[in-house]
Amino acid sequence: MVRFENVGMRYGLGPEVLRDISFNLLPGSFHFLTGPTGAGKSSLLKLLALSHRPSRGLITLFNKEVSSLARDDLPAMRRKIGVVYQDFRLLDHLSALDNVALPLKLAGAKNDQIYQHVAELLEWVGLGRQVDAKPPTLSGGEKQRVAIARAVINRPQLLIADEPTGSMDAEMGLRLMYLLQELNKIGTTVVVATHDLELISRFGNPVMYLKDGLLTTRAQDNPPPKESKDPA
Amino acid sequence: MIQFFGKSAELQLEKDVSTRYLPVVISAMIFLAALSIGGLFSLSKAISDWSETLTGNLTVEIAFDPTADLDKKVTDAVELLSATPGVAAARAIEQEETLKLLEPFLGKNAALGELPVPRLIEVIIAEDSAIDLAALNKKLVEAVPAARLDIHRPWLDKMVLLGRSIQLLAAGIMLLIGCVTVIIVIFAVRTGLIMHSEVIQVLHLIGARDNYIAEQFQNYFSRLSFLGALPGLIVAIIVMFIFNFLVSSLEASMLPPLSVGIEGAIALLLLPVLVALLTKYTVRQVVLKSLRRMM
Repeated sequence: MVRFENVGMRYGLGPEVLRDISFNLLPGSFHFLTGPTGAGKSSLLKLLALSHRPSRGLITLFNKEVSSLARDDLPAMRRKIGVVYQDFRLLDHLSALDNVALPLKLAGAKNDQIYQHVAELLEWVGLGRQVDAKPPTLSGGEKQRVAIARAVINRPQLLIADEPTGSMDAEMGLRLMYLLQELNKIGTTVVVATHDLELISRFGNPVMYLKDGLLTTRAQDNPPPKESKDPA
Repeated sequence: MIQFFGKSAELQLEKDVSTRYLPVVISAMIFLAALSIGGLFSLSKAISDWSETLTGNLTVEIAFDPTADLDKKVTDAVELLSATPGVAAARAIEQEETLKLLEPFLGKNAALGELPVPRLIEVIIAEDSAIDLAALNKKLVEAVPAARLDIHRPWLDKMVLLGRSIQLLAAGIMLLIGCVTVIIVIFAVRTGLIMHSEVIQVLHLIGARDNYIAEQFQNYFSRLSFLGALPGLIVAIIVMFIFNFLVSSLEASMLPPLSVGIEGAIALLLLPVLVALLTKYTVRQVVLKSLRRMM
């Protein structure tokens, strides 16, 4: 599903923010990605989300080597990936409903199908009454839930979430983690970047630990490590 | 019309302040382009009319001579010309008629009667006749020594050259207007791309193709161009009507009225469509090129 081989990444001519990253995520796996602030978690997620290219090494997604992909192949690949950004990245002028509907619209789904699914999902994440609300009028937690709904609406094969519960209360955070688990059970590969060690220990999934751009715990085929050191 | 061009649903380009004045600029460009087209087609028609009128038409001029019997000379020349094979008609132009031709240059109140004006004979050549004008001139000069055959050719050639030069200038102006319009549109699109880079990035990351994003830009900008072109064209047509009205009311026969003909009218009406298409193509190229630089 996802394979990184000696991947390095730098922004422009700056220093490498990721160094010699190698791991393999099996289809249907669920991993946490953690590490101190500035360790390179967001950069790793950018590579997974196909928003940036590595400066060296090989990345294989869905059995295709990313550097060999033509530009025209990228949209189809990205539609297989759902991303929940830490800063939500919602379109402020669109309603919650239209924000969540966007991936389906881009994939060419029909309007009647789109809006039925979207309304149901928004209901599930507790935003059934705010389908027409625009992001600036929503709280941080509500925006986060819209962002999660947008990421999962088209049943992605790979779901990446950057601090998905960061703006929510504990109950809603757990509820959303259960949603991610449900998606994982039906075959979606999930990677959740978080600082929340309690959350990591509660779910007990494999953990990738990043520090100074180096991956110290690799995701392997074998059972997940139980370690959960405080990154701070 | 807005529905025809489509709306930029995600990018909300309609709310951009940076493109608010683009229609005004396009309007000014179309105004100038429409006037250039008006001039271009009017000149083309005028040149064609001159050629048509003067090709089968000659003038015989008998120099003014206060001591000679000019009437007799005119009569002799008309007789000779009428008897010449290939000449359909030869008509002596009355003195008053000749003086009337000078009015636009000298004014109505000038003492035209006192001028040493030559006598003129209008000669119409029969269609498809192969008349030897040099031989006719020689024969005429022998019969009426003060007569001279004017075939208008040198004058017409100069006028045609002048007309063609002005046409070329008008075409150059059109080209310049096109280039300036393209440059203005490029700058506006680049500004739009910078302003909406975050939304574009989000759209890309959730699977939007470059074409999808480019379409939102090209539809919006071609709509601006089309809607901007309409007032420019309307004002230009009004200006042409006013010009024609002034030309006719001033009796200034030196200036031909603007008359574009059917081809010119079609070209004028197509201007907004053409500028919209030019904008659409330009925007598409600029946006796709810029997007290719993104991952």
